Parts: sequence; structure tokens; C-alpha cells
Amino acid sequence: MESSQDKPTTPTKPGRLAASAALATLNEDYYRDLANAKEEGRPVVWITSMAPIEMVSAFDGIAFLPENYAALCSSRKVAAEFCQAGEARGYSQDLCSYALCTFGSIFENRGPFGDEAPRAPDILLATEGACATHPKWWEALQRHYNCPLFIVDAAYTVDSETLPEHHKAYFAAQLRELASFMEEHTKRKFDMDKLREVVALSDRASELWDEIDDFRKAIPTPISQIDVFTCLFPLVTLKGTKEPVAFYEQLRDEVKERVDNGIGFVPNERFRLIWDLFPIYHNMRLLNYFAEFGAAFVTDFYGNAFSGRLDASDPFGSLAERYLSFFMRSAQWGKGELYKERARKYHVDGIVFHSNRCCRCFTAEQPDVGNILRDELGLPSLTFEANMVDPRGYDDAQVKARIEAFIEMLEARKYPKEAGMK
Amino acid sequence: MVSEFYEAYSNRHQLAEGWKRAGRKIFGYFCNYTPEELIYSVGIIPVRIRGSAENIDLADAHLPTFCCSYMRGALDQALKGRYSYLDGVVFPKTCDMTRALYDVWRRNIKLPYYWFLPVPGKSTDEAVEFFTHELSLFKESLEEYSKQQISHESLKQAISVYNESRSLVGEVYKQGLSDNHPLSGSQVFGILLAGLVMPKEEHNAMLRKLLDGLPDPNTSRANGTRLLVAGNNFENIELLQTVEECGGDAVIDDLDMGTRYYSSAVDENSEPLRALAERYLRKTPCPCMHPAEPRLERMLELARSYRVKGVILVIQKYCDTHLYERPWIESRLKEEGLPVLAVEHSDTGWSGGKFRTMVQAFIEMLE
Repeated sequence: MESSQDKPTTPTKPGRLAASAALATLNEDYYRDLANAKEEGRPVVWITSMAPIEMVSAFDGIAFLPENYAALCSSRKVAAEFCQAGEARGYSQDLCSYALCTFGSIFENRGPFGDEAPRAPDILLATEGACATHPKWWEALQRHYNCPLFIVDAAYTVDSETLPEHHKAYFAAQLRELASFMEEHTKRKFDMDKLREVVALSDRASELWDEIDDFRKAIPTPISQIDVFTCLFPLVTLKGTKEPVAFYEQLRDEVKERVDNGIGFVPNERFRLIWDLFPIYHNMRLLNYFAEFGAAFVTDFYGNAFSGRLDASDPFGSLAERYLSFFMRSAQWGKGELYKERARKYHVDGIVFHSNRCCRCFTAEQPDVGNILRDELGLPSLTFEANMVDPRGYDDAQVKARIEAFIEMLEARKYPKEAGMK
Repeated sequence: MVSEFYEAYSNRHQLAEGWKRAGRKIFGYFCNYTPEELIYSVGIIPVRIRGSAENIDLADAHLPTFCCSYMRGALDQALKGRYSYLDGVVFPKTCDMTRALYDVWRRNIKLPYYWFLPVPGKSTDEAVEFFTHELSLFKESLEEYSKQQISHESLKQAISVYNESRSLVGEVYKQGLSDNHPLSGSQVFGILLAGLVMPKEEHNAMLRKLLDGLPDPNTSRANGTRLLVAGNNFENIELLQTVEECGGDAVIDDLDMGTRYYSSAVDENSEPLRALAERYLRKTPCPCMHPAEPRLERMLELARSYRVKGVILVIQKYCDTHLYERPWIESRLKEEGLPVLAVEHSDTGWSGGKFRTMVQAFIEMLE
């Protein structure tokens, strides 16, 4: 990858990823499977992100992520109405807009394509591994659908560099309990060998994802942040099945080829940035606005949360480890170190914080992470408020003005001569 | 006599500075899921960290404004030096904000002792076992910090002081069962608040004196419309005084620093760490716990035994866990024939006039 710097860069913008076509097929297949699940006798399990999706795949179930669904609603421009419908039922506008949007959709029985809300879940599976609000959201879903709910408690351990044994034991005990719970509600037998296969497939998808992420270090960086967010779908929703593995192999090859040929998605890459954290689903194009100034996002702290290495020889133990120690759960000193390391490895010029108004869990520490990066690396940051799903109150002109000012500042820092000549 | 409690709460920083000068160590803590008994057993005074009605300014460099005013206010107070007497702070993981605040506080305020306590979100046997283990780690760290062993006896002693507090506050609550009880809701509120920031034995002594001097509950003042006040935590006594001025009376509560804190004794006959783990995980839950039903059931039980006519739900703005439960709690209470007045509350910028109008209308409707 180091050599890519010496090769002549192609000044033209690369076309669409060839893998996009495969992704579209995966998407269609997934929604068809979901629609046919009842007829095919496959359980539909609504899960939170960071819930052990492998346990769903091990029962040949179909995982449905309302978070993913709300993102779709947002990109289809129906999120504002759905969020309002959620509010009309007494849910606060300050709540997670993934939840609010889903509530509105299911209470009104409306979908993103002028259709109906998603089919009811057979089983609800949540964890507080990502945030403490997930179980509350799932309890509300449970009251609405009156179907079985299992919550995997994922206690926090912030100061320990290695995962304490009793944390692992508590989580693993719940996985065993979850296996019996799934047996009871799916009328299928739990098969440890099947779980091993699933765990191996999940691990392989994560390994490929990490490889792809690693290629983003190249100068110029090969793929756009929009591509990264879009290509996450199989990792989030289909992990533990064969499809993501084939897809990410194809994507990895394509990304590698770009890197080998010195192709960057931003022609004449001038600035390299970190995106923190959630996408703005109603305005994904904002990410491309940065590209107009030659600024590329070369890494982010969202996608990687969905990748986690596993060990098929110890399914429960390694699932416990993976879901308890993913990086977003570490204490701030850990996060600070991680962000610093990423900034150095990816040759980063600045960090952009999307201060996601509806998410305290992953937004509360952004100011201090920015302070750490400023104080210890001299890295500048841009912070702007938005709401990931709900477009109401979003001021595009204002955000763009902030971006322009930020880029100007980066320009003066990185290219003082050119900036002076303007 | 009863006003002394709220005065103690109002003067909490001066009181703490006095203990500090007298050579005592003081730890701040968040949430009613901190097993204070352990801190108390090494002679350290645990005090609940609270925010303030003061404007928040210093905290804004560290926390977004869409975080709750309690956490922002608490950090702001600390950055302003109001908590300079603390030797340490304990953060139990109950919500996303306490977890985040641990990091932010620790980075910006240097103290000799910090502890992050992972609290499970369930109360199963496995959760109790896990929490017992966590409590043993907390105990070890306290021993190391204080350079003294926590013996079975010292811990049992601390537990018995805290159980006495629970039982004395229980006596105070019992007064409210009578139609002509001697203490108003706001007076009881002052008693609850004082207990958060005083050494428990001192609070207990004040409570014993108060209870001894109380008139016969059946010959006391005439009270207003009986209400239950529920929600998370706030220190705004004006809120309850306004309720009284409008002809209401909060005779019982479901609050973080009320019944959810002062109820449920620790079993003094079993192994102390395990008994603590059981008590904290199996008391009336806060919304950070799963399942949620026991809190509602307890609320209904209190509403029945205290014969309340309605419920005032006071929810901290931006408090996710409470906000998720709100529509369900409201509709279930209404189904049970209990009208609800729900208000979002911020520690700063409280609009007393608007609240008064809402309460007046609510109480008129109940009557």
C-alpha cells in the first residue's frame, strides 16, 4: 500500500463500485426472504445492533434490525412523518430517532414505499451492549406485539484492558439461556455444530471487512464514506450466513484493485478526515460535499463496530468476548488512544463530529474526545448538530457554511503557501 | 424541627466542608444503585452528587446541551469547585449518561479515588452472582484506598445503620397514610433530600427526634388532594410547595431519591455482600432495569394504599430510560383510574408559573 503514493493518481473520479450490483441483489433477496419467512417457517427476530445475531442465524432465523429500517425510512423521506406519529403516542422527540421512526411506522402501519409496516416479529432480542436505551425500546415493542422478548445483559467494564472472567461468564450464561429460549419459541433444536459454522462465517465476514477498512489507509483512499455505510448492510443484517462472505470478497478485490492502481474516490485528494459517528440518513449526500473540496473520509467509528473476530472452537466464549469488548464500550482513555492511533495510521488531517441530537450514548463524549485530539495531536475538529434519521430542524445551508469554514482552516494549515496566494 | 432537614440539604456543601475539616473523608456518588453501605463501612461519608438550578456554563465545553440537566449541572458544579471537598467519586453504570460522565469527570477533575461499578440490567440469579463479584472488587478497592479491612462485622454494622434509615423513613412515609397527617409532601421531600447528603447516623438521629415529637396523625392539619409524585430525581422543593399551594399534597412518591431509595431493607441474616447484591438488584427497579413491570406494580400498590386521586409524573428532560416508559406508565395509570399530570423538568430554567397553572387545572379536575 505504501507504494501507491508513488504511482500516478488518476485524476478522474472512479465509477460506481461494481459490488453495488451484488449488494442490490443481496438487499432484494433479503426482503424477499423476510416476506416469505412465515411460509417457509423461518423465525423473524427483531434485534438491536450489538445483539448476538449469530444466535439468530444458528436457528436459521431472519434478523430484522429496526435501526436499519429507520435508516431506510429516512432515506425514503418518510421519517419526519413517522417520528411525528411516534410523538403523537407520547414518545418524546428527544428519543433515539431510530426508535421514534419505527414506533411511528408500526403504530400507523405504514412503510417507506407507501406500503405497510414490517411484519410483526416472532421474537424480540435486545442487548444493552450498545446503549442502555435499546432494552427500553424493545420492552415497548414487546408491549405492542405481545411476543417473546429476551434481553442479553452486557455489563460494562471500562477500566480493565482485558475482559474479566466473571463478565465473560455472565454473558456466556445468558447465551446458553438464550439458546433454550430460542428452542422454546422456534420449536427448533439448538445445534452447537450449526452455531460453530455460523460463528466461522461471521468471523470471516468481519475479517474481510477489516481488510477492506485497512485499504482505506491508502493515499488516495479508495472508497467513499457513502460506499462504506451502504456496504455495511450485509455485515449488520446477514452476518453468520454465506452471502456476506462472498460479497465482501468481491468488494475487497475491487478495493484492492483500486489501491493497486492508485485510484482514489476523490480526484486529487487534499484532505483526509475521520467521520464520527452516525450517518445522516436523510442527507447522505452531505458526505460528498466534502469531496468537492478534495476532502475524503478515510475512516469512521461506526462501521467497525459491526465487525468482530470470533473463534469457532469456543462459540459462546468468543461471542461473549466480542460483544463485551467492542471498542465503543471502552472508557474514554481507551477511546482517546484509539482515536489517536487511527488518526496517525490513516494520515488524518482532521475529524468531523456529527453531534447526533437524539443519541446521548455515543455523542456525550465527543467534545472531550475532540479535546484530547486537539491537545495531544493538534488535530482540528468540526462539530455540527443534526439528527441521524429525523430531518426536522436540520439546516443544510448552515452546516455547509461550517464545512466551508473548516476546510478553509485546514487549507491554511496544510497548504499555507497556496492559501496565502488566494 | 422539620425545616432543619431541608436546611441541611441546602447547606450541604458547607456541612461537608465542616466534616472535611474535622478529618473525615467524603465520597460523592451517583444513583440509588450505589451500595453506600460499603463506603460507609470504612468510615467514609457517602454523599449524593446533585446538579443545581444555577446556570450551566463550564460543562458545555465537555457535554452536549442535549444531555440531561442533572448530569450537565453536576459536572458544572464540580468544575466550579463546589465539590472540592470530595476525596473520590463512585459511578454505577445505570444509564448511558452516568457511564459517559465517569469518563468526562475523571479526565477533567483529578481526585485520589474513582470507581466505576458495573450494575447488571437484570435481577436474575446470574445477575446477582455477577453483582456480588463486582461488589467484592469494589470492597477490595475501598480497603486498599482506606488501608483498612472491611470485616463482616463492620459491613453488618453499616448495613444495620442503613436499614435503620430505611425503617425510620418508612415511619415518616407511614404518616401519610392518614388523612390528617402532620407532614406535608414538601416537608417529607426535605427529609428525603437531607438523607442523601448527611452521614446516615446523623440523619437517623434527626429522624428519631422528629418522629418522637410528631403529633397524633389523626389530629393534625387538614390536607389537600392526595397525590403520588413519580419520576426520576429532582431537588426542586418549590415544585411540591406549588402543588400544596394549589390544594394538592404529595403523600407518597415513586422517585429515585424517595421510595426507590429508602425502601427494601438488606437481609441482615445472610452473607453481607450477597445480601447487598440482592437488595440493590431486587428493590423497586428504576427504569434502567429490566423488566419494567415491578415498578409499575409498586406504583399502583402505593397509589391504592395511600388512596391517591392522581399522579404527577416529573421527568427529567433528555432522560431516555424514563422517556421510553412514560407513555406506557401514563396509559396504565389512567386505565387504573388514576389521572396523570406529566411534566418534563430541567434543573435549570424551571418555569414555576407554567407549572402552577397546570397543577391548578389538574387538581380542579380531580376534585
